[in-house]
Amino acid sequence: MKNSVPSAFRLEVGEDRIALLTFDQPDSPANVFNLATLEELDERLREIEAAQNLAGLVIQSAKPSIFIAGADLKTLSTAQANELSDLITLGQNVFGRLASLAITTVAAIHGACAGGGCELALACDWRVASDSPATRIGLPETRLGIIPAWGGSTRLPALVGLPTALGIILSGNLLKPVAAMHKGLVDEVVPPECLLAHARASLTKGKRRTKRRFFLHNPIGTALITRRARATLRTRTRGNYPAPFKALEVASRSVSTTALLSRRNEREAILDLAKRPETKNLTRMFFLSEDARKLRIPDATPAAVHSGAVVGAGVMGAGIAYWLSARGLHVILQDINADALAQGMKRIESHYAQAVKQRVMSKVDAARGLDRVVPASGSIPLKRMDIVIEAATEDLDIKRRIFEDLALRASPRTILATNTSALPLRKLASCIPLPDRLVGLHFFNPVPRMKLVEVVRADSTSAHTLATAVQFVQRLGKLPVVVADYPGFLVNRILMPYLVQAGTLFEQGGDPVAIDRSMLDFGMPMGPLRLLDEVGLDVALHVAKTLSSAFPNRLSVPLLMESMVRGGYLGVKSGAGFYLYDQRGPRPTPPALAMRGASRALPDDLGLQLARTMVAEARRCLEEGVAESPDHIDLAMILGTGFPPFRGGPLRYGLEAGLFRPHHTPEAMPVELGDLHSNPVSL
Amino acid sequence: MIIIDAVRTPFCRMGTDLAPLSAADLGRHASVSLLARTGIDPAEISEVIFGCVAQPADAANLARVIALRSGIPERVPASTVHRNCASGLEAITSAAERAAGGHGDLFLVGGVESMSRIPFLYHPATAAKYTALARAKSLGRKLRVVSTLRPRDFSPLVGLKLGLTDPITGLNMGETAEILAREFEISREEQDAFAAESHLKALAARPALDTELAPVPVNGHAVRHDNGLRDDSTCERLARLRPVFDRHCGTVTAGNSSQITDGAVALLVATEAKAAQLGVNPLGRLCGYAYTGCDPKRMGLGPVLATAKLLADLRHHPADADVIEINEAFAAQVLAVLKAFRDPKAAARAGLDHPLGDIPRDRLNPRGGAIALGHPVGATGARLVQTALAQLKESGGRAALATLCVGGGQGAAMWLESLN
Repeated sequence: MKNSVPSAFRLEVGEDRIALLTFDQPDSPANVFNLATLEELDERLREIEAAQNLAGLVIQSAKPSIFIAGADLKTLSTAQANELSDLITLGQNVFGRLASLAITTVAAIHGACAGGGCELALACDWRVASDSPATRIGLPETRLGIIPAWGGSTRLPALVGLPTALGIILSGNLLKPVAAMHKGLVDEVVPPECLLAHARASLTKGKRRTKRRFFLHNPIGTALITRRARATLRTRTRGNYPAPFKALEVASRSVSTTALLSRRNEREAILDLAKRPETKNLTRMFFLSEDARKLRIPDATPAAVHSGAVVGAGVMGAGIAYWLSARGLHVILQDINADALAQGMKRIESHYAQAVKQRVMSKVDAARGLDRVVPASGSIPLKRMDIVIEAATEDLDIKRRIFEDLALRASPRTILATNTSALPLRKLASCIPLPDRLVGLHFFNPVPRMKLVEVVRADSTSAHTLATAVQFVQRLGKLPVVVADYPGFLVNRILMPYLVQAGTLFEQGGDPVAIDRSMLDFGMPMGPLRLLDEVGLDVALHVAKTLSSAFPNRLSVPLLMESMVRGGYLGVKSGAGFYLYDQRGPRPTPPALAMRGASRALPDDLGLQLARTMVAEARRCLEEGVAESPDHIDLAMILGTGFPPFRGGPLRYGLEAGLFRPHHTPEAMPVELGDLHSNPVSL
Repeated sequence: MIIIDAVRTPFCRMGTDLAPLSAADLGRHASVSLLARTGIDPAEISEVIFGCVAQPADAANLARVIALRSGIPERVPASTVHRNCASGLEAITSAAERAAGGHGDLFLVGGVESMSRIPFLYHPATAAKYTALARAKSLGRKLRVVSTLRPRDFSPLVGLKLGLTDPITGLNMGETAEILAREFEISREEQDAFAAESHLKALAARPALDTELAPVPVNGHAVRHDNGLRDDSTCERLARLRPVFDRHCGTVTAGNSSQITDGAVALLVATEAKAAQLGVNPLGRLCGYAYTGCDPKRMGLGPVLATAKLLADLRHHPADADVIEINEAFAAQVLAVLKAFRDPKAAARAGLDHPLGDIPRDRLNPRGGAIALGHPVGATGARLVQTALAQLKESGGRAALATLCVGGGQGAAMWLESLN
């Protein structure tokens, strides 16, 4: 044993002959499994095997809010094929040793218990979880493009039955303790103070006997379950994500094969998946998200934000106020009149009602969250506010007036943020004193669901303001990407030519369903025309015009869209846009169809062509320095537009598809992406 | 004691615009609007004191619930007070007494009432049957208890009615007003004229009244105005109403009585030193107050003895007040009080040696009163203080008198001064 390395596990045996194994990885806030920790665990388990007269084994963590966070992903993603194979085999063998101990074993779970941590817990006889808000249990491997390969895909179906196991593995959700108990993943949920005592008490239950599930786990039952799951997966992933299918295969075969063979299946599946670019891209996404979560602005000390005001009680203002209040901030919601405020409050109330319905929070928490929002019309003092977020109408004059007023009412240290999606911050900076306080905080719609916030740095924005804004976004549970104060910032800028191109195709007679389907097949969550309907054609038109005037030779707005907006076809909010929205479900709007030119056929590779438009614009953003790195651009597009994560983002996709060379030198690209005028999409 | 600022919700008739809100919701709304308006840090508050008559069963110590829901730190204590219709005043004077005793320097106070939500109650005998039912273990025993239920068990007691009935005399508030109408010879016409005038004054003061309140968002629309005011309350129309408390020879009607209303008022009050430290621009100063007791059957006369005591303590005369707010529980009751102020026989009847001095009608309730605005019983006292000070600020006046009759036989009076 390497005595020079401080140990991650502590084994104690008390007078009651109960062995207590505590995982406490040195120099790390989390417990993770890598080569070293797995080998050490193996050592300890051997000691336990050899020991005499033990009454049982309890495994716990010493970390304040993490049981075991899973495998060390950095190791996993950088391992060569044979290294990975060895690591998988090691983990399987170690957990196998745990599962075959003669004494009763219990996992005392407090905090995050994910992936490999959950697999360790599954290798124990019993599992007791604490009811702390930090405790979450699950197998998120498929979200990273892999599968639980340390016995989880085999042990979980045996424990809870194949259907429930598939639900857990294929969704990749981390379950709250009580939900986990209902599914059979844990046996008991107790307050943290009672966790160890109840874990010890569970030892008296003796070794667990596997439940035989004849009705579920016979060949016919299994086939039915698997067929249904596969169909659901196909619809959901459109064939773009191989990991869930592999997980389905391994898990369903596990109920009718030996444990040894199933472990081999797990290993083969994960080794196959690890080679694939989809998996690498998904893992990269995870790391990029972690980077954004921990982003710090150098040479600047962020200030804490405890109270804020939101100006504008529309859809975005209400969404932002909801989110801030739900995360514990006191928020003053301002608008010009009491009626606008009342409507905004109603929107916030429905956000909370939705959260309760989805069991994201309790009724009590929702009531307390709602109490934290104070509607106030009128010119109230804002001196004590740490931040003011303006989310009013997208009109420069209105915003200028608002900011002039805000600058007087707020204190010199109040951050003045704007949620504008298209207006240049420098035009606001010029009308307020102390413009170092100004920053852009561009949230995405709907606020509760979209994790991305573009943090826009104007020329006047100080490092302190930027650092405070970034930390504020992180504290909200969102992911910040710092962008420059250029028209359309990052996401809207990249999206717009793509959306305009789709609109042009429609104008020229293309079938809207086919246009949208091509992008769904590419992996977007929604087609471009459907997205325009969701955003609102009037809003999109406004952004398009702003960008069009900034880039006059590149972007021109299709006349058809102007006609549609004039005709009241604004999209979802008016009941009809490119599609009609009623009880029968979205279908193309006949009057809009009639406005097109003569019906034309669409090219087979339409999806790729549309995607390349996004890639080209992303490339320009990189060259112009809109964002600091290709990683940031990819992350922003995936989070902000649902750009398919398995493709890694527009720049990664462009790289892998051979559309340009890796080093971003401004040289001619192998494929002429150009602009729409010189390279119209041929029909 | 300095009164820094005040905000109230619109006052709405029971069962209308504010009925969906609980008393705690109303109190919270007034409080957070006030805190937002003044920009004062809630952590500076020493204590929260609210008055409420029908204290909701699901919000024990309403003031504490309001405090925690308004973002006031947990470590700030809170207390709910009750002096029937003067509960709103009681909250303010309690804060003054705390401060005088060295127990705090800044207080959030006020009064709240949701009369829409006053519950129905089971008779004690019925409640006993339900308890027996819950205790009965077997089906047989349960059925036996059910068989003891009678029709009477299914018609509940109306909490509102109980609350407005004096338990000592068995008379409801309106019946005490009828007594005063007879004894002080207040005619039906006089009462109706007074009521009509209340509405007219309130309607004329609508813009001013709107500055006292913060609109309340209810289910997607804003409740912006007091909705008790009527533009059709003429003497002719009022004359057509039937007397409600004495069908046979009564004169008190729904039209010349205060309305049953939901509403809340919040004020921030502080010691002189604290107000100076906060650097605020206050509304006014509390100079003195008095609470007195009287015959419960004639509770409407409460203001007479209370004002007499107050004026004697401060050595003031009614004419020293530029604004006089007498709560309009009933037109008959206010008119009886006014008579006692000016007429020796009436004064003697009301327990005074001599009349205190006539009150100029143009200084009385200039923005209308509870007949037009409504009387959310726990809140009204606080509203009188708010409106009196607001009127002094608007007109440049110096002093105001606010006084109420109190169900159960008390009177409350307060002297306020502006800081002009």
